[in-house]
Amino acid sequence: MTTMTQELPQVRGVKQIPVFEGFTSGHRTCQGCESALVMRLMIKAAGPRTIVVGSTGCMYVANTTYYSTPWVVPWMHTQLGSSGSAATGTAAGLASLMRKGKMQEEPINVIAFCGDGGGVDMGLSAISAALQHDEYNLLILCYDNESYANTDIQVSGSSPWGANSTFSPPGKVHRIMNRRWKKNTVPMLAAGHPDVRYVATACGSYGPDFTNKIRRALTIGGPTFIHSIDPCPKGWDYDPKYSHELGMLAVETGIWVQYEIVDGELILNGPSRAISRGIRKRKPVTDYLQRQGRFAHLTEEDLKFFQEKIDESWEKWWIPGIVPFGPHDEGE
Amino acid sequence: MATQTLNQTEREELISGSEAIAIACSLADVDVITAYPIRPYDTVMQYVSKLKADGAFDCDFIVAESEHSQFEIVKHASAVGARTFCGSSGVGWFYAFEAITVTAGLRLPVVAMVGNRALDDPGAFGVEHNDAMAVRDLGWMLYWVGTAQEAMDTALLAWRVAEDPRVFLPMAISCDGSFLTHSQAIVNVPTQEQVDRYLPQYDRGRLQLHPDNPITVAPQVNEDWLMEIRRQTDDAMRRTSDVIKEAYEEFKQVFGRGDPSPFIEEYMTEDADIVLVGMGTLAMPVRVAVRRMREQGLKVGFLRIKFFRPFATDEIREALSHCKAVGVIDRDYSYGSPSYGGVLFNEVRSALYNLDQRPLVQSFIAGLGGREILVRDVEEMTSMVQDSINAGRVTQENTWIGVRE
Amino acid sequence: MVYRGIFQKTLARNIVRTIVFAARKEGKIGTAFGRYGDSPERNGIPAKQFAIVSDSPEELEENLAVYEAREVDVTINVDDTMCKGVESWAWYGLQPINALTKPGGTLIVTSRQEADALIEDIHQKDTAYNLAIVPASTSFSGLWVYKDDHTDVRILGALAKVCPELVSLDSMVAALDDQGWGGLKLTSARNSFDRTIQRPVEPGEGNDDTPFSFDLPGWRSMEEGLVIRGVEGGEGFRGGSLGESYDPITSPADGGGQGYQPIRNAVFKKFSTRSMRPVINFDTCIKCTLCWLQCPDTCFDVTPEGLYDANMDACCGCAVCEAVCPVPDCITMVNEAEFNDNNSQYEHWTRDKDGYHRWMGELLQVQKAADADAERSHGYHSPGKYEAESEVALTGDDD
Repeated sequence: MTTMTQELPQVRGVKQIPVFEGFTSGHRTCQGCESALVMRLMIKAAGPRTIVVGSTGCMYVANTTYYSTPWVVPWMHTQLGSSGSAATGTAAGLASLMRKGKMQEEPINVIAFCGDGGGVDMGLSAISAALQHDEYNLLILCYDNESYANTDIQVSGSSPWGANSTFSPPGKVHRIMNRRWKKNTVPMLAAGHPDVRYVATACGSYGPDFTNKIRRALTIGGPTFIHSIDPCPKGWDYDPKYSHELGMLAVETGIWVQYEIVDGELILNGPSRAISRGIRKRKPVTDYLQRQGRFAHLTEEDLKFFQEKIDESWEKWWIPGIVPFGPHDEGE
Repeated sequence: MATQTLNQTEREELISGSEAIAIACSLADVDVITAYPIRPYDTVMQYVSKLKADGAFDCDFIVAESEHSQFEIVKHASAVGARTFCGSSGVGWFYAFEAITVTAGLRLPVVAMVGNRALDDPGAFGVEHNDAMAVRDLGWMLYWVGTAQEAMDTALLAWRVAEDPRVFLPMAISCDGSFLTHSQAIVNVPTQEQVDRYLPQYDRGRLQLHPDNPITVAPQVNEDWLMEIRRQTDDAMRRTSDVIKEAYEEFKQVFGRGDPSPFIEEYMTEDADIVLVGMGTLAMPVRVAVRRMREQGLKVGFLRIKFFRPFATDEIREALSHCKAVGVIDRDYSYGSPSYGGVLFNEVRSALYNLDQRPLVQSFIAGLGGREILVRDVEEMTSMVQDSINAGRVTQENTWIGVRE
Repeated sequence: MVYRGIFQKTLARNIVRTIVFAARKEGKIGTAFGRYGDSPERNGIPAKQFAIVSDSPEELEENLAVYEAREVDVTINVDDTMCKGVESWAWYGLQPINALTKPGGTLIVTSRQEADALIEDIHQKDTAYNLAIVPASTSFSGLWVYKDDHTDVRILGALAKVCPELVSLDSMVAALDDQGWGGLKLTSARNSFDRTIQRPVEPGEGNDDTPFSFDLPGWRSMEEGLVIRGVEGGEGFRGGSLGESYDPITSPADGGGQGYQPIRNAVFKKFSTRSMRPVINFDTCIKCTLCWLQCPDTCFDVTPEGLYDANMDACCGCAVCEAVCPVPDCITMVNEAEFNDNNSQYEHWTRDKDGYHRWMGELLQVQKAADADAERSHGYHSPGKYEAESEVALTGDDD
């Protein structure tokens, strides 16, 4: 049972992206911050009748420094691991008050965002719990800049293998300090919560696709989850002007896969779809890795290993780039 | 805008403190309640869920996946204007501590029940007051109830005070594990009409998070701001005393019961040479002991502290300034504290310090982990205080009572 | 010393630490620290580090008793575009770059500009001070890979020149040597000692703008519950109405003929983060919307005819707009030092198209010439690029 949602039409092309701004100046993010762009695109898509709750991270600390705020819509801080609980609590409060006639009844978008630290690491259990409550309409958006970027760039469960961070610095003895492979978050949540009607990956470099994903998530009903890859000029170490290009390279190299799962159906988007259909060749991962200072210490073997892991995910996985396991092959 | 509840007329029930608070939740038409299982507080949630299942109570009842989420959910529900309730016990309360801390910082009037329980390790079900006491510095109002009736009445008072715009602070209702959460007593259940008269709807006003009131709540601050923000919360806590008095007076008018003071309960203290001080259900054995000792001609009295936060410094000074010696019974410990005394002991002693004529103050640790405090324990403590009076000084500042050597 | 967040973090640390090491050579003691309030540092955003040197532990303690020095003997600014003033990361108001420079003190700037051009930007003081210029291009790198173009040792060489009572060149060189920075870097330090240009600045000389400031309210006037009011929504272009047809959900990117401009936060502006700004050719713009769409800082006002005018109070110079613009030279990032105001380019263009094109043409030429010398680039680009850029800088040093 879900209450009514807003009318948020899909856009066809950049020219239909709304002119409305719910996230304006006053934030103190880095030059070329893709996560700030994600905040802006998110609220453009959602519109003014939206409550946003943000868990601790760059998009809290750098975005809202006391007495100045970039937010036009109501916004509230929540703790690092609480995006799921914050979304549930906000939606539950509104639902209860409206049902009892204590608040004017209307569909209000509820969006909680978290970084990869708050979502993929600490907040995972609360997000999972939120996705079990089909009576509440809410969206949890994980903006993934692949490190604890607010606290000085420490490795997270969503950081790529080998990446330099202040907790995984290349050293004289250990060149690769982060030996963990990036967590495969969206498929984990999709498989684990079959009643959730919408989960997706996204990237701010693809404006219309991003807008439509936010709108689908907010209008389909029930709890939803979007995981966006956000190039971070500070932590990844590249010239800020390339934020948009690096987002596209992450997709074009097949390191990041763009897709959505709508009512149990997997739909690949943009370049990822073309790659999966063999219409388009994946670019070599070096096109992406060698543009970033965080990978400057990688050797030829490291780059080769990285490429092989990506090849494996596309060539050996049951669902290329998405689901690593499959049915046992009985043979003939 | 009250929901249909089972009682339209005032009635008597034989119920536990937990059930009393559950009924108070339905009478107060609480909007969002979150639960997570841990003994002994969780009995309240068992009653709440049954009331909801039977259609006696319309609320969003959410079983969270952890205490941390449990407290985060009500925190955010409260921010959009919903009346909320949750609770926990022992280490569960500690698991939620991050959320508990920010709830006060955010000035959100969440009401929580703490079923007092010993902290792990070792795991133990019985009562100790250390769990709830951990919030004493954070901006939570903190109350220790003595009976099931008081549990219900205090819950109704709690929303009234916490949601007062002059206050906007959370309040924790401490109930001794098992003694109060699980044992039943006769409770007078008020009518919906009485409660509706007493308890206005929660209105967060200009602090409400809603598209019609686009605010930014709790941005990051640097040292240019935090002292001013702490001072605001400090001032709100200072304002609670008058609001509590006001709300308690009206409570007595509407419901026709209550003590002279909302903060403390005095028992035979007027002419007492020795006043014992404690919180929660230990009041019962202490009162019995006081009566017996009075029969033997000993001038003993008892002061039960109800509100631990705000700490009623003036009233407690007034109540203790006339006696010769005070014995504070703590159902808690504070390792390495001044005189190795209990938490309540050190608070009472510091409250008395600046008096011109101050009584001797002596500390007793008793009843930890749910161990019974017996009448003879109380008599033993009293005689030790008497020894101090005779010696003209506190001979032993702290004593653990009823502990095997 | 003042530096640009992450881009010059290592540079700043090298400089302040070496100052302390050098002072030790002369029996002094000292300390070096980054201002914690500016942490976590953000890329491009102005930040501060301090080196404090004293003759005795007691004197050092006296200096440390004030966390941020109220005045300093030498201010070092490693990006000349910050001569326009800095809006510190977590603080409010614009601080002149020489705000802490004590009477008779020195402001060291790395710059290719003439002294007079710099002084135009630097806010005036009512006391005299000394401006020292280290002739060099601004050095930017990122968090992980340091671009060693000797900017650090050039600054240190210059410091020994302008402030010998603090530390001598020999001590400075010895301290560099201790850190294993032999050979070329020592030469660079010595060269810089000889080549540093000094220019006394008279009281009242320089930029006479009053930097915007902010008064901190007290606890009784601050809203309770950690609440601050959100920014108001958008309005029509230049404060006009949005018109009957406006709908936040459906009104499209081109502004639907009304134009659109977001209300911008009044107390924090961010433009002092900028070391370059976009210059826009409105005549070749094809209205593809990409600059507007991809801007993380919501900088672009939408004009009634569907052009995009970058707001220079809000722009922090990330250059994403330049990167995504499909039209050659339609958006060009130009060194911030070339500008003296934050005026609207669109208004300039509508007022006087020919004048605008002359102005734009000159700026683009200057920028292309500068890029040929050393591109003003931020952060890591590709393996070997820093080495190549350093090569240029170093050969420039030895001519």
